[in-house]
Amino acid sequence: MEKKILTKYIDDPAQIDIDTFMAHGGYKAWEKVLKSMKPEQVIDEVKKSGVRGRGGAGFPAGMKWSFVPKDNPKPKYLVCNADESEPGTCKDRVLMERDPHSIVEGMAIAAFAIQSHLAFIYIRGEFAYPAQMMEKAVREAYAKKILGKNIFGSGYNLDMIVHTGGGAYICGEETSLLNSLEGERGMSRIRPPFPAVEGLYGCPTVVNNVETLACVPHVINNGAEWYSSMGTEKSKGSKLFSLSGHIKKPGNYELELGTPLSVLINDLGGGMLDGHNLKAIIPGGSSTPFLKPEQINVKLDYESLAEAGSMLGSGAVIVISDRTCMVWVIERLIHFYKHESCGKCTPCREGTGWLEQVISRIEHGQGMPGDLEKIESLCENILGRTVCPLGDAAVMPIQSSLKLFRDEWAYHIEHHRCMVKTEFAFN
Amino acid sequence: MAEKDNNSVSLTINGREISVPKGTTILEAAKQLGIYIPTFCWHPKLKPAGACRICYVEIEKMPKLMVSCATPVAPGMIVHTESEKVKQGRRAVLEFTLINHPLDCPTCDKGGECDLQDLTFRHGVDQSRFDFDKYRFIRDKKSTFDDFRLGPEIIRNQNRCILCYKCVRANTEIFGEDDLGAFQRGNITEIDTPPGRQVDSLYSGNLVEICPVGALTNTDWRYKIRVWNTQTVNSICPYHADGANIKIWKDRQNVFRVTSRRNDAIDEGWLSDVTRYGYQIAKPEGRLLNPLMKKGGSQVAVTWEEALSAIARKFKDIKDNKGGVCIGGMISPQLDCTSVYAFSKFFRTIIHSNNVDFRTEYRMLPEIPEDMYSRMASQEFSIADIEKADLIIVLDSDIIKEHPNVNLRIRKAITQKGARLYTLNPVETKTGALSVDEMVFRVGTLEALLNGVCAGLVEAGLASKKGDTSALKKCLEPNTVKDAAQISGISEERIKAFTLAVAHAQKPCLIAGEWLTESSMREKLAGAVHNLALLGSLYEKGQIGLLARAANSKGAKKLGALPHPGPGMIEKMKQTWGEYPDVPGLASDRMIRASVKQELDALFIVGVNPMLTMPDGQFVREGLEKLDFLVVADLYESETTQMADVVLPLSSWAEYGDRFVNLEGRVQEFQDAIKPLGQSRPGYLIVNDLAAQLKSPLFSEKSKFADEVDTFLNEDSVMPVPETLVEVRFMEDKINPEFPTPMLVVDEEHHFGHWTEKTKSLSVFCGEAAVEISSALAEKIGVVNGDIIRIESEVGKVNLPARISETIDAEVILVYRNFSASPVNILQMRKRRVDRVKITRVES
Repeated sequence: MEKKILTKYIDDPAQIDIDTFMAHGGYKAWEKVLKSMKPEQVIDEVKKSGVRGRGGAGFPAGMKWSFVPKDNPKPKYLVCNADESEPGTCKDRVLMERDPHSIVEGMAIAAFAIQSHLAFIYIRGEFAYPAQMMEKAVREAYAKKILGKNIFGSGYNLDMIVHTGGGAYICGEETSLLNSLEGERGMSRIRPPFPAVEGLYGCPTVVNNVETLACVPHVINNGAEWYSSMGTEKSKGSKLFSLSGHIKKPGNYELELGTPLSVLINDLGGGMLDGHNLKAIIPGGSSTPFLKPEQINVKLDYESLAEAGSMLGSGAVIVISDRTCMVWVIERLIHFYKHESCGKCTPCREGTGWLEQVISRIEHGQGMPGDLEKIESLCENILGRTVCPLGDAAVMPIQSSLKLFRDEWAYHIEHHRCMVKTEFAFN
Repeated sequence: MAEKDNNSVSLTINGREISVPKGTTILEAAKQLGIYIPTFCWHPKLKPAGACRICYVEIEKMPKLMVSCATPVAPGMIVHTESEKVKQGRRAVLEFTLINHPLDCPTCDKGGECDLQDLTFRHGVDQSRFDFDKYRFIRDKKSTFDDFRLGPEIIRNQNRCILCYKCVRANTEIFGEDDLGAFQRGNITEIDTPPGRQVDSLYSGNLVEICPVGALTNTDWRYKIRVWNTQTVNSICPYHADGANIKIWKDRQNVFRVTSRRNDAIDEGWLSDVTRYGYQIAKPEGRLLNPLMKKGGSQVAVTWEEALSAIARKFKDIKDNKGGVCIGGMISPQLDCTSVYAFSKFFRTIIHSNNVDFRTEYRMLPEIPEDMYSRMASQEFSIADIEKADLIIVLDSDIIKEHPNVNLRIRKAITQKGARLYTLNPVETKTGALSVDEMVFRVGTLEALLNGVCAGLVEAGLASKKGDTSALKKCLEPNTVKDAAQISGISEERIKAFTLAVAHAQKPCLIAGEWLTESSMREKLAGAVHNLALLGSLYEKGQIGLLARAANSKGAKKLGALPHPGPGMIEKMKQTWGEYPDVPGLASDRMIRASVKQELDALFIVGVNPMLTMPDGQFVREGLEKLDFLVVADLYESETTQMADVVLPLSSWAEYGDRFVNLEGRVQEFQDAIKPLGQSRPGYLIVNDLAAQLKSPLFSEKSKFADEVDTFLNEDSVMPVPETLVEVRFMEDKINPEFPTPMLVVDEEHHFGHWTEKTKSLSVFCGEAAVEISSALAEKIGVVNGDIIRIESEVGKVNLPARISETIDAEVILVYRNFSASPVNILQMRKRRVDRVKITRVES
């Protein structure tokens, strides 16, 4: 059922060492690229493979690379976004901790494709261990002359820097990440200009997610056709899903895109915890709208989930049982988004704070008539009105919850208490 | 609608078509159509941030509202700025902005000129759906109204802040400062200084001015008056020669503040704090308000009539018995055109003396009419054109201290337009930190270094064909890069790299400052600059500015307030006045020397304080003491007024209207904000009253007299420069080993001249003289920040607190002039080119 491509060796503790990694065929793709491919060929191959951004937005990776202007005399940069902080998501972490060289290799190939000679790995501040693993991998790669000057005798130079952030959700947003990497406060930039034209230090920059980059060596080794033979018509290849919630076997699972959600929850995840029934599913990280139990057979791919009214996002599937208050869930989430709002633009900064106050009072039995309409109105005043997607991320689950579980919200206001008292609440 | 060319874009806003250059934002395009879009975080001189979101517009075929400040126009765009969706979006933003805003308008100094107040009123947001307690920032429990001091003048009230980030953005983008930032996150974000820092840069006042609400206010304006009870008058900065345009806010007879009156040719709306707070000289505190006369050893108050008749009597007596040449006059270049002109005319036509000078900080030299320096300084120069330069050369100038607006324009050229800067200074400077190469030469070797660059151009075959390069060996000494490197301490590689930069520049801009102007070697230095300009084709390709220093230095020069105004000017004076005294004139230092030799009997000093500024203070004292009669007109009591027989109260520039000529030669009018304080009078009235007593008034109607002034101001003053190399031979300065450390004299960043010391706000920034010293030198003599250093020269000694500088590396010290308690001019020797001193730590 699982399609182990990126995670093939993650259970081998020696995979973190470069020798084992290479014995498993590692850095073959990097060597092939340097010795026999032109940058355009690499971009074409990745374009043809259909690899899409695994950070959440799902933008075709090859396309993103091709936006980097070729005639720009400025240096070009590749940045690996390892600021994995979407609640529920823990897939990049596992790759960094257990197979760090695969990321280094993917980055190297991507850097070559855009003709960058300096690549950065931006890791969230809390990820001390993954950062250590990445540093070890980079160090080993330098020692083997897989990074540095004149790699594989090709004349190509590439340096790689591991950089840890201060620990802010917003720095997973690419323009905030670039600000943070430059030493500025982590705040989003207005677009245009897009990073591909004016990114890090004002130079053309590509920012790719860890998982996206980890796919690249496999595409190069096995060909675009092989890769695109997996998945659906528009969602190619495999994807890591981080399964959590009221489930028997939470964890990371790699599935071919298009696999039904029920396979992940019931077959791989072992179904709901005993005594719990499925109430709602967040399919793509905390910013995506909820699915109802009757949608459990939806296919896990970009298009099918969009059709179902939600998003594939980062692939963090959070399973919520009927012994959970939906208002409580939303209170947790809005607290998170308010705390992580960078403070730059008014609707997100003030709106998330206000929403938290209203939602919190409802959860604590002090909701007032009209509060639901007020929440809806505030959400409308935030959605699509902010600099970066954090505002949208904050309100989408709220809107979804109000639509799908309005009775619970109404009950809260009318009876000043939860309809279902949440268990396993870690307040 | 046809596109005019590839670079223009046509679009429709509210049904009206417009074509604008590519890259224009919707907001700017709308402005051109006169369509109003509200903004908070937008500022014409800052990069758009898109933070406040009040400037939403609706664009057809785009699902979301877009911020007009940051969205570039696109062909065929159809934009609506007043649709229901836009109005709803704006109201929503205002509602969000107001939820935690304290609405303390009754006690807020921004009330009446607050963008938040105005927009809330305009868009009719009169009810809030927010029913929680507002968030309160309380930084310091002891402070009231949640106010917190960020710097000497700036006070922050975070509760009022709407987080437009304009202050932080301007501070970094425009001023290059890092003393203000945002802390915390989300809706508890605070604008604050990094730990242990304060907002005290030269441009700090601008942050208050651009704050759209009352979050940043300054102590100068707080709680003094409601803005609707004031009026404004247009004025000009009375300090720097930049000539920043300002507005003075006043009521009937009080001045309250100065704000900018944006002039893109000069200041772009940014003022230095000296300009902003220096207006306080128009407040009565400490001002001389009535004439004083020495009677029985002490100065007592007298009437104008008594004072003027005493002066007239004495001047007449000296003139009749000894001749007008025994009377001299010094006038401040911070005085208006009419006063300066009247002063010169008074001396020449009524006293019959050419002893007139506006330069009292210079080291003088025998004057040659139409000398090289004057020729170079007369060249056309434009502040706005600095940003067109691809190469900027700053030499002998700590430009930020001399010309704050020129400094900002240099910054802009570098940071926004990609210009490259080279600085050639005897010490590291703040501006130099932006340079490609900060060339710190050995003090007193600039001409050798410049000769080296000339030689470099010739050696590399890059010299302009116009300059006769064969003359190089004959005229220049040193005349090779190697020798120049040896003398100046700048390596051959660096000189050669700079040479290449000069040769390849498309649009070079050379700026020289006061260390050149005030040097006794200025003639030689001007020659060296000329040689470089000739060989490097600077005259043809770019611009050269030997910058005038004070608000009206250029005017004083144009109006002939010099002992030798030059043959052309003398001719014009003769024609205009029908007479011109056929006697030699003395420059300011010669007047002092003449007095010491008892060849000069009386001095008439207006608005300057030579006791504090002229080199060799002890000698100046002797000169003034030996005078038979000293008349001093000034704003405040000073070391010089204390020695005077008659003291006249002078009005500040805010108390009358007139004109200044800025460093570009731009004649700018300023209006009177208030009537003269007390019994004080403007300079031209004092001179005219005296003229009336002695002979006849210079004018009966000022406006008619202004026409006469105009004929001088309208004269084209650009003098031709030679088309050949001029002789520049470097001579090694003699060093007395007992006094090894070179000393440079400057105004402190927040001060200018001897008046600003008396203003409250600027004294808070810097209240006393100090000596700037490198950490290495400080360590050598064993001092830490604040320790007292004894500075001794061959002629005097002074104790000053040490200010250990992060920027200075060179083995020089910088001392601040114009502080009464510590006159540093007593250290300066009249005949030396470089001041050298001995520094020791004073044991406490």
